[in-house]
Amino acid sequence: MASTGRLIPLAAGDPVDNMSIDQALLESTSHSQVPALRFYCWSRPSLSLGYFQEFAARDSHVESVGLDWVRRSTGGGAIVHHHELTYSLFLPANRSIGQHRDLYAQVHGEVATSLRDFGVTAVPYRTLSRSLSASAAEPFLCFQRRTDEDLIVSGYKILGSAQRKVRGAVLQHGSLLLKSSPHAPQLPGIAELTSQLPSIQQFSEKLANRLGNRLELDWQEDGLRDQELESAGRIAVAKFGSMQWKCRR
Amino acid sequence: MTRDESKLLYAATHEWAAIEGESGDRVATIGISGFAIEQLNDLVYMDLPEVGRSVAPGEEFGEVESVKAVSPMYSPVAGEVLEVHSELPDQLEKLNDDPINFGWMIKVRLSSDEGIDQLMDHEAYQKQCAESQ
Repeated sequence: MASTGRLIPLAAGDPVDNMSIDQALLESTSHSQVPALRFYCWSRPSLSLGYFQEFAARDSHVESVGLDWVRRSTGGGAIVHHHELTYSLFLPANRSIGQHRDLYAQVHGEVATSLRDFGVTAVPYRTLSRSLSASAAEPFLCFQRRTDEDLIVSGYKILGSAQRKVRGAVLQHGSLLLKSSPHAPQLPGIAELTSQLPSIQQFSEKLANRLGNRLELDWQEDGLRDQELESAGRIAVAKFGSMQWKCRR
Repeated sequence: MTRDESKLLYAATHEWAAIEGESGDRVATIGISGFAIEQLNDLVYMDLPEVGRSVAPGEEFGEVESVKAVSPMYSPVAGEVLEVHSELPDQLEKLNDDPINFGWMIKVRLSSDEGIDQLMDHEAYQKQCAESQ
């Protein structure tokens, strides 16, 4: 029998709010052990650095240097968030260290299936010839890096995800690149690669249904609770909105 | 001195501790197990604490990134960080080969016995690892 999960309604937020809400929901899931799925967009073009990336590395990407920015709690490279849909999945975690290792493949598989409904064919990087464009030195931008489960269209990455683990829960969030941004013109999106532009609302509904089936979860629409909003506010001050925290590397 | 993994104590969260010294001045050397390193797969970054920081059992003392996943590491003991293996984050490739000796992360001067009775011996830890696969 399927368990119940929370489906947080699609919304657009600024970089600090988006990351703080993700962190608040991760902590909430850790306590409640109730899974949650959230979709969101970005209210203005922004840049997020991977958790371990150096702040100084921003200078290497001139097109995004003037953007508002945030440091993510998750790993990987920098992302220019502009014409994209972001998903965040929050699942309870036990003490098994490899428990959610296959979550990238599970979610990305359902994204690929959902994209097919819009006439878009995307495949995991692991199924392609490794001579494609993998590089030993990691580029600054996440979408110029490659890991096995990244989704690829015509040789270009259109979906990448990353995780944050805490005691009792895991957050996996990922960016679906819908359209190229002038702040990262070297990265074509689905629109440029396929002449298709999936509706964000329709796509997120399809993906939620498929993820529910895959993970055996029955999603119930549920807004953010007062306690989560308060927690997100505290997290914003201490971390994602704090220059000291953002510039610590 | 080479450590023997069968003599170490282990936390359920996969940290190991080697406790040495007399009752009033005991130091725990701490790292993460070979099993954890294998499961995490391809560590690329690591953060370790500053010398002098206090840690409590179950409290985060550092973080690692592998396959774009950031995971915490938890202190198995209570005390003050006495020494940090500061070269380790730049040589993570060596961690796979020798997680117990080269791979030590911090040394903690114990302030109490808190947390120690929650740790497992090697046999119990091996059993936990086998059950989690």
